[in-house]
Amino acid sequence: MATKVTLKIAGMECPNCSLNLERIEDKLKGVVFAEASYRKQQMVVEYDDAVLTLEQIKAEVKRLGYKVAGVV
Amino acid sequence: MLNLLVAFVTGLTTGGLSCLAVQGGLLASSLAGQIEADVQKMTVPSRKRRRDLRKPGASRSQLAAPILAFLVAKLAAYTLLGFLLGWVGQMFQLSPVTRAILQIAVGIFMLGSGLRILNVHPIFRYFAFEPPAFLRRKLRKAAADGSPSSLSAPLFLGFMTVLIPCGVTQAMMAVALGTGNPLQAAALMFAFTLGTSPVFFAVSYFATQLGKKLERNFARAVAVVILVLAILTIDSGITLAGSPVSLSRWASGIFGSPANAQAAPNGFALGGANADQGDGTIVTVTVKNTSYEPAIIHAKAGVPVTLRMVSKNVRSCSLALIIPALDLFEILDPTGVREIAIPPQEAGTRMPYSCSMGMYSGMIVFDR
Repeated sequence: MATKVTLKIAGMECPNCSLNLERIEDKLKGVVFAEASYRKQQMVVEYDDAVLTLEQIKAEVKRLGYKVAGVV
Repeated sequence: MLNLLVAFVTGLTTGGLSCLAVQGGLLASSLAGQIEADVQKMTVPSRKRRRDLRKPGASRSQLAAPILAFLVAKLAAYTLLGFLLGWVGQMFQLSPVTRAILQIAVGIFMLGSGLRILNVHPIFRYFAFEPPAFLRRKLRKAAADGSPSSLSAPLFLGFMTVLIPCGVTQAMMAVALGTGNPLQAAALMFAFTLGTSPVFFAVSYFATQLGKKLERNFARAVAVVILVLAILTIDSGITLAGSPVSLSRWASGIFGSPANAQAAPNGFALGGANADQGDGTIVTVTVKNTSYEPAIIHAKAGVPVTLRMVSKNVRSCSLALIIPALDLFEILDPTGVREIAIPPQEAGTRMPYSCSMGMYSGMIVFDR
């Protein structure tokens, strides 16, 4: 089932970081949609929870050089 | 020329690294495709061979072409962008005052960018252009899907980096806009982007990762550079607006020629039929590449005065003369004499003038 979460992201220091973060959509199977915002320091992720867990998403965000500071 | 050198050095020292984070990511995605394709091309690849190719540095020579294609396309795109920005800036060039306002706005944008990078307050995040989501998606897809064997993907991505300019580039774009001259702005962006290329190439080619700490310190240094540029830009705007108080006027006063307080010397050998009268009705200013001399000239009050601007082999923006009080904007000849008629002025009037970028300035004081 598709789940939608808004994550608070730490470490977004440039406006183009959103592009970097959204690569999660290509890298993680099960992510349906990802849209980040530098101004809000947030990322909305829609994923299939049958394929993926939130922890896996957080780990991928970390791999990309950022940190999930919380769930909004 | 000096501007271009500054732009090149800014690119070389700060632009390349600060743009790498994301633009480099795009390039890496497209290069990953290239390496993958090379692996697949092997008809019966041995395990070892496959492993070797995946090692950083494997098939490195083949990476040079796509990286170069990416950089050439990026250079072309930013030069074109510079031209367009200069053209837009030119449309704003309605009057010296509009130019001054534009210059000050550009300076404020740069100031905000510098403070944003320093993370002073979240509000400064509005001083950055964030590419819209649909564009980001398109770029990402292009990087992932591009035909790996051809150069079209890196070429396309290089050109598209124009849509994701980093902080320093955005500051440089603002400067380009402020020139109000398409060719000058294109040259400025070309010099800057060319400056960013060696670092970009080296880091992509050797797949070097910068440490997080180094990146942060580096970003701070970048912010300081932008803040200094911002202050200079705002000061140029103030000078352009004809304010008698500005950093550049203060610098001209301090470091100007020793003849500052004198009337211009008589009898310029260059061309003009009318030499200075010595009574302050005809005053002569020598236009140099980096100054107007003397920086302060005294003229007669209450009578029409002729200002003679004398230039000889001048190649800088000091040729684009602005006198806000007269609403005058004239491009002087690289070598020649231009006479400007000034209507009678009250005693004690101070008439500032400057180049169109507000970098070089001078003043006529009507008190003789």
